Amino acid sequence: MKNIIEIDRLSKSFGDVKAVKDLSFRVREGELFAFLGVNGAGKSTTINIMCGQLSKDGGTVTIDGNDTEKNAGAVKRGLGVVFQNSVLDSALSVYDNLVSRAALYGITGAAAKARIGELAALLGFGDFIKRPVGKLSGGQRRRIDIARALIHKPKILVLDEPTTGLDPQTRKTLWSVIANLRKTENMTVFLTTHYMEEAAEADYIVILDSGKIAAEGTPLELKNAYTEDYITLYGASEDDTRALGVKYELMRDAVKLSVPNTAKATELIVANPALFRDYEITKGKMDDVFLAVTGKKLGGDEK
Amino acid sequence: MRTLLAIIKRNIKLFFKDKGMFFTSLITPAILLVLYVTFLGDIYRDSFTANLPEGLALSEKLLDGLVGGQLISSILAVSCVTVAFCSNFLMVNDKALGTANDFRVSPVKPSLLALGYYIATLACTLIICFAAAALCLCYVAFVGFYMSLSDVLFLFLDIILLVLFGTALSSVINFFLSSQGQISAVGTIVSSGYGFICGAYMPISSFGEGLQKVISFLPGTYGTSLVRNHAMQGALAEMEAEGLPAEALGALKDAMDCNLYFFGNAVEIPVMYAILGGATALLLAVYVLLNKFKKVK
Repeated sequence: MKNIIEIDRLSKSFGDVKAVKDLSFRVREGELFAFLGVNGAGKSTTINIMCGQLSKDGGTVTIDGNDTEKNAGAVKRGLGVVFQNSVLDSALSVYDNLVSRAALYGITGAAAKARIGELAALLGFGDFIKRPVGKLSGGQRRRIDIARALIHKPKILVLDEPTTGLDPQTRKTLWSVIANLRKTENMTVFLTTHYMEEAAEADYIVILDSGKIAAEGTPLELKNAYTEDYITLYGASEDDTRALGVKYELMRDAVKLSVPNTAKATELIVANPALFRDYEITKGKMDDVFLAVTGKKLGGDEK
Repeated sequence: MRTLLAIIKRNIKLFFKDKGMFFTSLITPAILLVLYVTFLGDIYRDSFTANLPEGLALSEKLLDGLVGGQLISSILAVSCVTVAFCSNFLMVNDKALGTANDFRVSPVKPSLLALGYYIATLACTLIICFAAAALCLCYVAFVGFYMSLSDVLFLFLDIILLVLFGTALSSVINFFLSSQGQISAVGTIVSSGYGFICGAYMPISSFGEGLQKVISFLPGTYGTSLVRNHAMQGALAEMEAEGLPAEALGALKDAMDCNLYFFGNAVEIPVMYAILGGATALLLAVYVLLNKFKKVK
């Protein structure tokens, strides 16, 4: 798989504030890439530079082989952006909004109508296509935001906290559409989110802290590096558990043991077969990774 | 070209969908007309009759026609510019609401977007100002109509030129604005101040000499004078035909700003057109350059 986004030594300051410091990373074609960080970590600055909305102080940003400054038009044709807040015209209908945005990419007339029809079928907004965007529910509006981002069939879909404030059902629907697009169109998805369960589904994760990369890797690599494994052991007494000599926590009908990694868990189980009759091993969560890496919870709270 | 048309269509639709903005723009000239007729009509009329030579009796209809011409010229001269500012609200609103970011992530050139705002504002302002002009002509027809067909045609040409000027001026000013508070403040300042500095609310001839000289540098002044000339020319010609001496007619034209002077030199009608057209071209060039050389932060 080739790299579709290549960022090398990117830096950007606003006055004395260094928003992005010497940032470098790669995004491979077709992958779901999660870009995490608390508010102010430098995520939006990086995205804005990628989309040509901000200039950079140093470094290079290459998208699908095109430099964002030297060949901005080609870069923009390959990007579809879903902003944190809807930026569509609330007074206009869904159809009028999409027609006006399609024209920005040179898609007009019958071609625009056909593309809007495809997107309506894909995202299920045919029933309210004539309704003003301002009168839609949050979930309906988000679907239209995604339709707008997809209007020109971009290679990369940038999702800036796309599911914030949405109900679980709508979030599920949106992720199912995105998963389908990745499968059928080999679309690359560049995601920022505050929901760690969404980040856990990513192929690769970069965690940003104060404008620099604090950690990166696949979810598995990050969990292995920054969290412990847990064994939930059923039917064991506290005395037996204490004898194992590991950290534990009593639960209603089980004991939760903390072990440094899966190898240590296996050793413990093999050494105590009589005790480990009913158990499950789980890895740490992405929340734990984020907390361990940044010392902060997503939402900006200090540890 | 199709992209530009789609942008213009979107901008015009948004203007007319915002009923508050549309009706405010539409009703403002009508309210101005009512206010002028109610409060200023008699003052204008008294001012005319006071300056007429003794013994000259003019018909009531002619006096009403002259006063009507002055009233509608004031309204139209102000409306062409203030309505343009109102119509161009969208340009700032798009920045305030983040819609401009949506445009900037697309490959469309900023200059095309700028042109889209300009043409859409021009179209919306022309629609409203033509409607206002029709209303004003109906009023003049009711009180005393002395305009020839060419006067009416030139009046519409003046409106088009003033709208082009007002749209270009509002585009340059709005380029620097980015919040709804800023545009409201500018709208208020323009609505209240422009009528005075262009000589619509009060004739420039009634100002002090120094102020007259300063105002003579403002191109909007000449736009007002053009509208005045074409709205009142018929009535003034009729007054001359009814025996008003040439000197008195000249004094009346001076008093009503039909004649304008730049440092003592009379400015002829073709020169007024050249000034207004030149100012519009200059503002448009500034607008184009601002958009062309706008840098990403």
